[in-house]
Amino acid sequence: MRTIMPKLLETAVPLEPHWFQILLALADHDLHGLGIMNEVLERTGGRMRLWPGMLYRNLAKLTDLGLAVEVDAPKDAERGGGRPRYYRITAAGRRACAAEAERLAAFVDAARQKRVLKT
Amino acid sequence: VADHSRSWLASVLLALYPREFRARCGPDFIAAHHACLVREAARLGRAGVLYAVLRTTIDSIWSAAVLHVSERRRERIAATHNVPHAQKGSVMDSLWQDIRYAARGMRRAPGFTAVVVSTLAIAIGANTAMFAILNAVLLRPLPFTDADRLVMVYEELPGAIAFPLGFSPPDFVGFERRTTSLQSIAAFRNKDFELSGVDQPERITAAAVSGTLFETLGVTPAIGQAFTREDDKSRRPVAVLSDGLWRRKFGGDPGVIGRAVILDRTPYTIVGVMPRGFTFPNRGPHLNNIPAELYVPIAFTAGERVAFGSMYNNSVVGRLRSGITVDQAQAEVKATVSAQAAELYPAYLAALAKDLTASVVPLRDEIVGRSRAALRVLFAAVACVLLIACADIANLMLTRGASREREIAVRAALGAGRARLIQLTLVESLILAVSGGVIGLLLSRWISMAVVRFAPANLPRLNEISMDVRVLAFAAGASLVTALLCGVLPALEISRRDAGDALKDGGRTGTPGRRQRRTFGGLVVAQFALAVVLLVCGGLLIRSFARLSAVEPGFRADHVLTFAVSLPGSAYRDGAAVRAFYGRLMEAADRLPGVSASGASTDLPLSVRERRAFSIETPPTASRGVPRSVAHDWVMGRYFEALGIELKRGRVIGPPDGPDGEPVIVVNETMARRFWPGEDPIGQRIAWGTDTNHGRWMRIVGIVSDVKQGPLSTAVEPQTYSAWLQVADQQLADNVASAFRGMKISLRTPGEPTALASAVRGTIQSIDPSLPITAMQTMEQVVETSIAPQRFNTVLLGSFATVALLLAALGIAGVLSTSVSRRTQELGVRMALGAQRNDLLLMVVRQGMTLVVLGLAIGLVGSLFLARWMSSLLFGIEPRDPLTFAGVAAVLAAVAFVACYIPARRTTRIDPIVALRCE
Repeated sequence: MRTIMPKLLETAVPLEPHWFQILLALADHDLHGLGIMNEVLERTGGRMRLWPGMLYRNLAKLTDLGLAVEVDAPKDAERGGGRPRYYRITAAGRRACAAEAERLAAFVDAARQKRVLKT
Repeated sequence: VADHSRSWLASVLLALYPREFRARCGPDFIAAHHACLVREAARLGRAGVLYAVLRTTIDSIWSAAVLHVSERRRERIAATHNVPHAQKGSVMDSLWQDIRYAARGMRRAPGFTAVVVSTLAIAIGANTAMFAILNAVLLRPLPFTDADRLVMVYEELPGAIAFPLGFSPPDFVGFERRTTSLQSIAAFRNKDFELSGVDQPERITAAAVSGTLFETLGVTPAIGQAFTREDDKSRRPVAVLSDGLWRRKFGGDPGVIGRAVILDRTPYTIVGVMPRGFTFPNRGPHLNNIPAELYVPIAFTAGERVAFGSMYNNSVVGRLRSGITVDQAQAEVKATVSAQAAELYPAYLAALAKDLTASVVPLRDEIVGRSRAALRVLFAAVACVLLIACADIANLMLTRGASREREIAVRAALGAGRARLIQLTLVESLILAVSGGVIGLLLSRWISMAVVRFAPANLPRLNEISMDVRVLAFAAGASLVTALLCGVLPALEISRRDAGDALKDGGRTGTPGRRQRRTFGGLVVAQFALAVVLLVCGGLLIRSFARLSAVEPGFRADHVLTFAVSLPGSAYRDGAAVRAFYGRLMEAADRLPGVSASGASTDLPLSVRERRAFSIETPPTASRGVPRSVAHDWVMGRYFEALGIELKRGRVIGPPDGPDGEPVIVVNETMARRFWPGEDPIGQRIAWGTDTNHGRWMRIVGIVSDVKQGPLSTAVEPQTYSAWLQVADQQLADNVASAFRGMKISLRTPGEPTALASAVRGTIQSIDPSLPITAMQTMEQVVETSIAPQRFNTVLLGSFATVALLLAALGIAGVLSTSVSRRTQELGVRMALGAQRNDLLLMVVRQGMTLVVLGLAIGLVGSLFLARWMSSLLFGIEPRDPLTFAGVAAVLAAVAFVACYIPARRTTRIDPIVALRCE
């Protein structure tokens, strides 16, 4: 399964907005769930709130599909009593995210051409 | 919100998720949950916490469900690929499995499911309906502000009059100034008005109330304003409408304020409309208890304010000062009223004043106190019905469990623990009970509406019945308890079974084990015991109702039509006009075709309101010290003949007893016996008032048979009748008390009394076209109404008892029928060995009847103790009435025998060959 699904997914854009945002958060560094939640919140100006159930459900789904993987926490991330789980984007995840970004960029280009956007 | 409780919520939510998820992401989930709460609290404060709690809960329920489903899917794929998946599930996982399993089982047995769910729906529905009524009448606070501090205050004359009285106007006025324990008080009394100017003229029930009433109750009008103390004092013609009258007569027009309403042909200005749901006076108290459609100031006249010693008909409601208890108020009010009477009453009333005292009763007790016992008994009865239904269903589930023995044994053998098997059975009964509860809740609305329609008019607060949180909680609680009651025994039974035995049986349907039979038997015995208690209670009520119906009211109720008219003061200004109207009416009534006798009276039998104190000219020594109080009626025409009241001696009031004749009076037998024991009262003279202060002497001219003055269950009081025609013109014209303006007319006819109705309307119309007729009913209907409360209790409890009996009979029939079919082999063997069919039949019947007799015995003993609680509802019989107990035993035994015989008959159809072939 894990080998077929990503292929399908890369072409099956649009990507769910939640997934896109989660993958985007993971694009440049590994993060734990809470970190993803905060980064997404910040980037979307507080508009996208990932509630805990929604967040971990989607993370589980993304790992199932092979778009992200769980990794060991970095040594310096010891926190409180437990060691949080970190997630890392996979190559397939990166491709899916890029495809979605391109798709969105195409719309932005179109908006520019039609002078909906000034810049 | 403390950190502690936050993590608590997160842990609860986490429990919803699949086991694997919890193991992997548990701590992270809790941390994220905490972060969300902190974030939202920082953003929105307290509301943010609430928002976050709601959002995370909804989010978790949804996410957990999604994850469960995808886990299942993965398991299924794994299973088809032959991947072992022997992971032990969490409680949530197994619960989810059990729910699906139970639902599947119910789908596969639609008959079983339908029977169980509908039985429970009816039982829970009836319970919820009764609870809704109980809740509205007894539990919910009265719809007044701080209703716990409202009390009724009565004056009492313990020596002369057996029941509490209202306040006389001077007593009220003085008491209002003097009382220290009540922060405000208000007087009120019911008053009828002819309402005209809108549509047809009609008579409505209103209330004359103090200007302080609305502030005492703590209720303000929905539109406009209440009238004030000032309006009351200066006798302004202002009126406040009830919501009902406002909608009925004025179409709910908010512009009604300031308009005039014509009452007794006098215009009153409408100043306010009370809110919907405001009811006052309330049903329940023994006087001034009819909800008013309109309120006017009580406006005591100067004359009334000094009317010492009379007009004790103003009910008084008061609000306790905060911190004052009813007992403290009682002491203060008693002292104040006595002191005030001693100080203010004129010297000639000194004897009366010395006797005068007062009592304080919480308003709530006054309103619902008389209904409490009946409602509690009815509620207990309907709860018994639910218990019996539960026992039926527990038996059904046991039976079903028994037939699934092998399946369960396999599950147990494969490692399902005892707890898991109990859980499965409880889940099953929970699903059944909750389905029954939901349907029952819907049914309960109709049931309570039907009960209300049928309820007697004296049951208070019925307009307040509604489905509030408490009723919903009750329905939910009843469903849960039902689930437990239905499920626990089968669950224990199933889990206790030895898996090895069931499997060794090799799938043969064996005879039920001894312990299992005992469980079945115990349930049947309990059912019958409960049914017996209900039947005894129902039987006692039926017997006392029969006694009550057989009570001789003292008049002949058949073939009599009655109706009431009341002459408004503005159109009939003086006594002569009132006299002329009734003169013409009686004359016309006598001439009506089909009328054999006509008469009129201030009150009809069964509801005589007037009580009077009197003095005897030459009192017999034998009756010295007997309180001199009588019920009194003013009569006109051939009243005694019209109502069939028998003349015992002397003569009745007749044509010679006009305004100029000697004042005459007729007494009943009780009066003659009580005050002139062994003597002849005819020719004696009595007068209204006391020995020291009395009116004109009136000569006793006749003795008539005893007639009930109150409901049939009450004792006959001494009563007098005097001639309405001999009332002075000035009293006839009195428009405040209106004691003589309103009369009840009775017409006796050889034919059907209701056939006279249109002729009566025509007659009244020809005399006064705008005069409304009220309360037109046959005398038989009057009697019916007076026993309506008892009828209500009897019919309800009787039907509960019948349902209980049927459910118990179904229970034993079901148990025996299962037992016969499961013992087919055994019975076949017996037959092959030479047992006669009749022997087998007898054996099965005996098996059933043993249980029945045991239940009967326990039930009868229980009833001996429990029936005491109903003694206040009984009339004329003891709670341990042997005839009732014997009757119940006979009826129950007969029904139970039939219930045993029908399944037992199946033994005769057993073919030993077929039965043995199964081996």
